[in-house]
Parts: sequence; structure tokens; C-alpha cells
Amino acid sequence: MSSSPLLSVRNLEIEVSTRRGPAKVVDGISFDVERGEALGVVGESGCGKSITTLSLLGLLPPGARVSAGFALMDDRNLFTLSRPALRKVRGGRIGMIFQDPMTSFNPVLKIGDQLIEPLVYHRGLSRAEAWERAGELLRLVGIPGGEARLDNYPHELSGGMRQRVMIAMGLACEPPLLIADEPTTALDVTIQAQIVDLVKDLRARLGMSIIWITHDLALVSGLVDRIIVLYAGKVVEEALVDDLYAKPTHPYTRGLLASLPTLEGEETRRLPAIGGTPPDPGRRPPGCPFAPRCPLKVELCERAMPPLEPVDGRNSHRAACWVTTGAMEMAA
Amino acid sequence: MLRYILRRVLIWIPSLLLILLGVYALAFFGAGDPIKLIFMRAPGDVAYDPVRIEAIRQSAGLDQPFLVQFGHYILNLLQGNWGNSLITGRPVWRTISAAAPVSLQLGLVTIVLTAVIAIPLGVIAALNQNSRLDYAILGSAIALWAIPPYVAGPLLMVALIVILPGGEIPYGWGGIFDVRVLLPLAVLSMQPIALIVRQTRAAVIEVMGEDFVRTARAKGVPELIVALRHIMRPVLTPVVTQLGLIMITLINGAIFVELVFGLPGLGRLTVQSTLDSDYPIILGITLIGASLVMISNLLVDLVYPLLDPRAGQARQGR
Amino acid sequence: MSSPALSTGPAEAPDETVSLWRDAWRRLIANRLAVFGLAVVALLILVALVGPWLTPYDFLSQDINARNQAPSLVHWFGTDDLGRDVLSRVIYGARTALLVAIVVTGIALSIGVLLGAVAGYAGGRVDAFIMWLTDIAMSVPSLLLVVVINTSLKPPLARWMDAKYLETLNPVFRETVWIDFVLVFGSMALILWPPYARLIRAQVLSIRSRNYVTAARALGLPAGIVIRRYIVPNALGPVIVAVSAGLGNAMVLESAFSFLGVGVTPPTPSWGNMISDGLRVWRTYPHLLAAPAAVLGLATIAFSFLGDGLNDALNPKQWRK
Repeated sequence: MSSSPLLSVRNLEIEVSTRRGPAKVVDGISFDVERGEALGVVGESGCGKSITTLSLLGLLPPGARVSAGFALMDDRNLFTLSRPALRKVRGGRIGMIFQDPMTSFNPVLKIGDQLIEPLVYHRGLSRAEAWERAGELLRLVGIPGGEARLDNYPHELSGGMRQRVMIAMGLACEPPLLIADEPTTALDVTIQAQIVDLVKDLRARLGMSIIWITHDLALVSGLVDRIIVLYAGKVVEEALVDDLYAKPTHPYTRGLLASLPTLEGEETRRLPAIGGTPPDPGRRPPGCPFAPRCPLKVELCERAMPPLEPVDGRNSHRAACWVTTGAMEMAA
Repeated sequence: MLRYILRRVLIWIPSLLLILLGVYALAFFGAGDPIKLIFMRAPGDVAYDPVRIEAIRQSAGLDQPFLVQFGHYILNLLQGNWGNSLITGRPVWRTISAAAPVSLQLGLVTIVLTAVIAIPLGVIAALNQNSRLDYAILGSAIALWAIPPYVAGPLLMVALIVILPGGEIPYGWGGIFDVRVLLPLAVLSMQPIALIVRQTRAAVIEVMGEDFVRTARAKGVPELIVALRHIMRPVLTPVVTQLGLIMITLINGAIFVELVFGLPGLGRLTVQSTLDSDYPIILGITLIGASLVMISNLLVDLVYPLLDPRAGQARQGR
Repeated sequence: MSSPALSTGPAEAPDETVSLWRDAWRRLIANRLAVFGLAVVALLILVALVGPWLTPYDFLSQDINARNQAPSLVHWFGTDDLGRDVLSRVIYGARTALLVAIVVTGIALSIGVLLGAVAGYAGGRVDAFIMWLTDIAMSVPSLLLVVVINTSLKPPLARWMDAKYLETLNPVFRETVWIDFVLVFGSMALILWPPYARLIRAQVLSIRSRNYVTAARALGLPAGIVIRRYIVPNALGPVIVAVSAGLGNAMVLESAFSFLGVGVTPPTPSWGNMISDGLRVWRTYPHLLAAPAAVLGLATIAFSFLGDGLNDALNPKQWRK
């Protein structure tokens, strides 16, 4: 690779203290985000995808802490930054879009007052300059009327509008990395597509990198370049989007893809669901965490965690499965 | 807006009438004939002359049925005549307006003290949740809340005499800028401060967990600004709504504090007039007390939409 | 919601109503302050129940030779101006305090539940009228009202009881306790009911419209089951919290009224009238004030801690964080 990646996360572990002692909710995750790349992070609720991105900005909730690993950006480890340096990263180097546009805005402050904050605290703009720039940002994210909307309070906007404002807020200082944490989950299906299109369009214009967290594989397929699939705090598969669709390798990824409805195909096909639920982070089995739900599991799966192995000998596509990658034969 | 205020104020009229009616009924049916009360307490040389009493009763309209008398009272009240004290014979209005400034000044300073001391303490406790500092602040607040003013007052008074043996005993009234006012102020503000510290702490802790605070941090807003702008603004809303409650705590607290420290305010007047069964004064004080609470509740409702834009819209929608 | 702490483990709750309370109990006893409050309240109840068998002396027996004694091994809390044992009176006062707390809170809660529920269910004009009454009751200066009620009604009531006693010679009419019950407790309940009425009304309004109640109805569950398993457990939490705080409030209020001379009638010992007696002589005999004041303060703090602990344990919205 010619240039170094924008962000490198290595062996990240996050512990959450629970009544039964610490539980590892993120267990040795590693991934890179290249400059200008859009990375999709996919997994079901509780797999550790949100908390991973929160840790990058030092926004872990009380009781959670990074217990191992590092995250390199601009040649610095994000986990050991001083408070002022971390503040510069937040909003300045990494913009963040949260899931619920209803609760993520301060209800007693005007949209404009919240939108200008990154400009004031990172760019040092005066209030008036920032206000003007905020109006432009609103037009950029496709809010008609732009400036006039700045005087509105959050409850006066619809959910989709609010999410557009949220995107404008995340991009206000043109950070090289934008993290979107399930930004469409709380929205109507038609609005979801609009938001995805908007981000796609903005990426083409501004050229930032994106980490898009979702549990909806179909939604992001047209937006991201590469996908990593998380299960129970571990990366189980990573691949370029086309490779993943063409040859899903981990049984969990296969399950995810199989449960997507398609337009072509049999008319009355029952969508297959993955049976069971993910294991409790406090008491994960020693082997592959997916083993209890896996249709292909063998005895080895319950004893040892499979390593991430290249699929078809290519390093860009890797999966962590004893059975489907052929790692078992190699180990034997 | 004006129509809203007008509607609220109009409701006060039947409310106050009902309250006055209740106290008047207590006086009429419970305590009995005011003239007899006066004569019962009169010095020994005034003869108890039934004929004379009957004459006074008739001239004062006291032989009339309850509702007629109450009606007269209200009519007089509307003309600014609050009646006369049964004991001193002085007009009720003059008696109350002589005592009111003492209590009002004490009350206002207490409210300011409460806001200035309690809100920052509550915030500090919340920001250091579950630390020793938090426990110290919360513990003191709970202790202050549990010590009634009539116990705290005498205790502090004697503590002061012990610490400053030559000093003046803090008893009596010399204006709001007199040193003697410090101790009563301290005692009076103890419970409101305890109340607001706990309220503020709870509100800050709740707001700190909100998503929008995380959003503000994710934007790189400095912590101080996060605390002042994003946390304090929403916190003020529930705290300000406690004003009515504080008003009642203050009115109740003033009764004890003025009694213990010998301050000539409405609180002491209240106790004195109930001991004397001086109903015209009791009625006057009831009217003022109830109006104060109603006014502060209206103020809260008027300020609320300014603090929380969502509330304003909800009311317009109704 | 993608908080990692929420991942579902294997199902382990066979009966969710039982585990709701067991869960709340577990959270309550994990809170040290709440356990302290619970312990003090339990002790208070125990002392109130078996107190008369515990006391070293009778709370009324006077000893002219042992007046105003400082605390000693014979009289742990000393004796008062009539030579009565202060510890015995404090212990008996626990019974009075608990009686005041339970009776007053009981009456206030009953009025509140009745008016609040009617207002919440009926809505419209009935609701507006009841809420108007509640507002009025909350704007009357409360201490003043109680003092006025007691000073104006106590003498005629006492006279009436005396007359009745002379007429019938029935000892029932010599018990001042009845005056306490009717006037002191009654007037206290009269100023304490409005917050309960507001709370109950709000609970009725909000729970009636919750989705899970609609869902339970849509499932065709019988009304009794819906009320018992869906409405009551969800409505009960805030009420329990309010009652726990209210019990402490009522005890403090009684002492305030005793200070003003309208509390429980002597010679029945209450912490309130012991404090107000103690205030007169405390420069020379501080123990007469210190003992009841400390016990009252301890009880208030205990109820306050317990209330806060119950609030945390029973309010599902807060334990998510």
C-alpha cells in the first residue's frame, strides 16, 4: 500500500463492568480505514459496533473502558490523547452522526446555535461568520430555505430534516473522517434512502472517509467500498463489497445475506432467519462465538476461536471460520 | 399571552374566595363570637355586660347570618377595608403592611442565597458523582433538610454566643443590613438550599446521560461550555418549577425563624394572631400568603416556555 | 438501540411479575444508603411495636427525686423536669411517630387516590374541578391553616367531649387521643393530600395510554390480568416512593405543630412535644432537646434515604443508565 491508512485500529478490546464483573464487549478488533474510503461496519445489536466508534472519540459511557489496543490517526494514538488534543479531534478530525436525531439535539437550543459550535470551537469563527457558514451548510445538505431554518428549535423539524442537520453538523469543519452510527435506523424507509444518497453525494464532493455502522446490509451496499462484519465483539469477516456479496464466507455473513429480501427469485420464499441469540458478553464460549447458532459447526469450533484467514488466497477478503475457509485442514 | 395571564388571574378570584370562606367559617363556627373573645381577654375592670355586648354586636352586624357577614367582609375587602384587629383595634392592613417588609426582605434574600449557593453545589456534586465531594455535599443537604428550623435556630444562637462571648445576641430586627439578620437568614435558607441542591444534582445527572450531551462532546465543544450551555439550560427548567414549593417552605420557615429570633414579620404576626384568635388578621395573612403562592406559580408558568421551547408550543396548541 | 450491555442472555425468568419485584429488591439492597434507611425504619417499626416491653421505666411515671438528671447508666438519656425517664419517652414516642406517620399518610393517600383516580378517569370538567381544588389546597399557607384549624376547633371539641363525659361517664370521652386523631391528624392530612392526588392522576393518565396496556388489551387478556400485571406494577413504583417520603414528612410536620402548641396532646409523648419542651430549658439541660431531636433527625434521614433508594430501584427508566 502506497500511503498509510487514515485510521488504523489494532487489537481493540473494550470492557464494560457489569454486576457479574467485567465483560469484554469488544474482543480484539483490528481494521483500517484508507483515505477517501467508505467502510461499512455490519452486525446485530450488541455486537460492539457502536461502542467501537464511541471509543475512538473518547465518548465511552461510564463503566466502559478501552482495556487493550490502539487506534492510530495522524501518527497519534487516539486512546492516549490529552483532553485538549482529543477535543481537537472531535468534530475537527472526526465528525460524528448519531442514530437518533430526536434525542441527539439539545431541545432548548436553536438548530443554528448547535450547528455553529464546531465552527466556533475549531475554526475560531465569530458567531456571525459561523451563522452565515451554517446557513450554507444547511443548503449543502439539501435543506431548502437554509439560513431561515437556523432559528428553528429541533422539535420544529421532521426526523429526516433533523438528520440532515446532524450530517451538516458532523461535516461543518470538513473532517477527513465521518462516522455515521446507524444514522437511518430511526427514520422512515423512504427517508433512509434519501439520507444514504445525500451522504454518497457529499462524499463525492468533499472526498472524506466514512465509517458507516449499520445492521442493514442492503442499505449500504451502494454506498460503501468495503465491509467488516462483527459478531459478539469480534471481526468475523472483512471484504470488498462485491466480494462479500459474491462469496460470503462466514456462516453468519451468509445468514445475514440470506435473510435479505430480493426482487428477483422465487415468489413465495420464506426468508431464512438465523436461529438463537448472540452469547452474553459476560460468559462467551471459549471457541467461536457463533458456534451455538451455526449450522455448519464441528467439534473444533467449540474449543478454539478460528483466526481470520484469507479467502481464495486474497488478503482483501478474510473470514474467521474453521469450516468454510479451510483453516481446519491447514491446522490439522 | 395577555389572554392567558388574564384567564389565570381570573381563576384566582373564586380560589381566594373559597379559601377565605373556609377560614371565615372556622372563625365563625369554631372560635365563636369575636366580641365575646374581646371581652374574655379584656382587663378585669371591664364589666361583662350582656346588654352592652348585644348592642355592640348589632351595630357591628354580628347578629346576622354567617353568609351575610361573610358577604360584608368581602365587600369591605373589595373597598380596601381589611377590618380591624380584635386586640389592638388597629386596621388589619396597617398591621400587615408594617410587618410584611421584614418578611419580604428576608424571603427575597433567602431566594437569592438559595440560587447562588444551592445550584452551583448541586452541579458540583453531580459532576463528581459518587466521589467523596459528592457524598459530602449530598450528606450535608440531607442533614440540613432533616434539622427543623426551630431546632437549628436556638442551637446556632447558642453556638454563636459561645464562640463570640462578648458579641451581641442575634435577637430582634435592625433592618436587612444589620449583622443580627445573618443567623435568621442562615436558618431560613437551610431547607430551601437542601431542597435545591438535591433537585439540581438529580437533574444534572439525568441530563448528563442524554444523547445531546454526547453530541456536544462529539463536536469538540469544551467541557465548560458543555456544562454551562448544554447541561445547565435544560437543568434550570425543573429547578425553576420548584419556586412555588420554595415559597411555601419559606412562608412556613418564616413562622419559626421570626418566632425564635424575635423578628417583627408576618410569621410572628401569624403565630401571635392565632394565639389571640385575632381572625381579621388571620384572614388578611391567609389572603396574602395564598396570593403569593399563586403569583409565584403563575410566574413559573410564564417563565417555563422561555426555558423550554417545547412547552410554549404545547400551550399554544391547547 | 445498540448498546452492547443489552445483549440477551438465555432466558432465566420464568415469572416476570415475581422477578420485577425481586429485581427491584436486589437493586435496593445494593444501595448502601437505602439499606441504612431500611434498617433504621425497620428498627423504628420494631421499637414501636414492642417498645412498651423494652422500656426500662413507664413513660408516665414521675420520680420527684430524680428530676432533670443528666444521662447516666440508670437513665441512659437522663430524666426530664418531672423526673420521667427520657429514653422511655423517646421509645414510646416512636409509637406516636409511627402512628402519626401511618394514619396521616393513610388518610392523605386515600383522599389523593380517590380524587386523583376520579380526575384521571373522568377527565373534562370533573378533572378540571378536582385539579382546581388541588391547586387551592396547595396554595394555602399550610402551617397557618393547621394552626387555625386546631386553635379554633380544639377548644369547642374538648368542651363537647367534657360535656359528653359528664353526661354519660363513658371513659371514651376522656381520651384526648381522639382529639388528636380527628383534629391534629385530620388537619395534617388536609394539607398533605394534594401531591398524592396529582401523582395518582398523572399515573392514571399516562399508563392508560401506554402501548403495552393497549397491546395487552389487544391480546384479549382479561381486564383483571391487565390491571394486576400491567397497570398496578407500573403505577405502584412512584406511589411507593412518594409514600416513603410522605411518612418522614408527616413525622417532621407533627414536631413542627407540637412546637407551635397544636401537636399531639400531652402527656402522650411525641418527639415533637419533647423537642418543644426541651427548647424551653435546653440551655441548662441540653439532653432534653438533643435526644428527641437526634432521633427525629435520624428517622427523617432514614425515610429520605429509603425513598431515594426505592426511587432508583423501582424506576426502570433510570436503571438503564
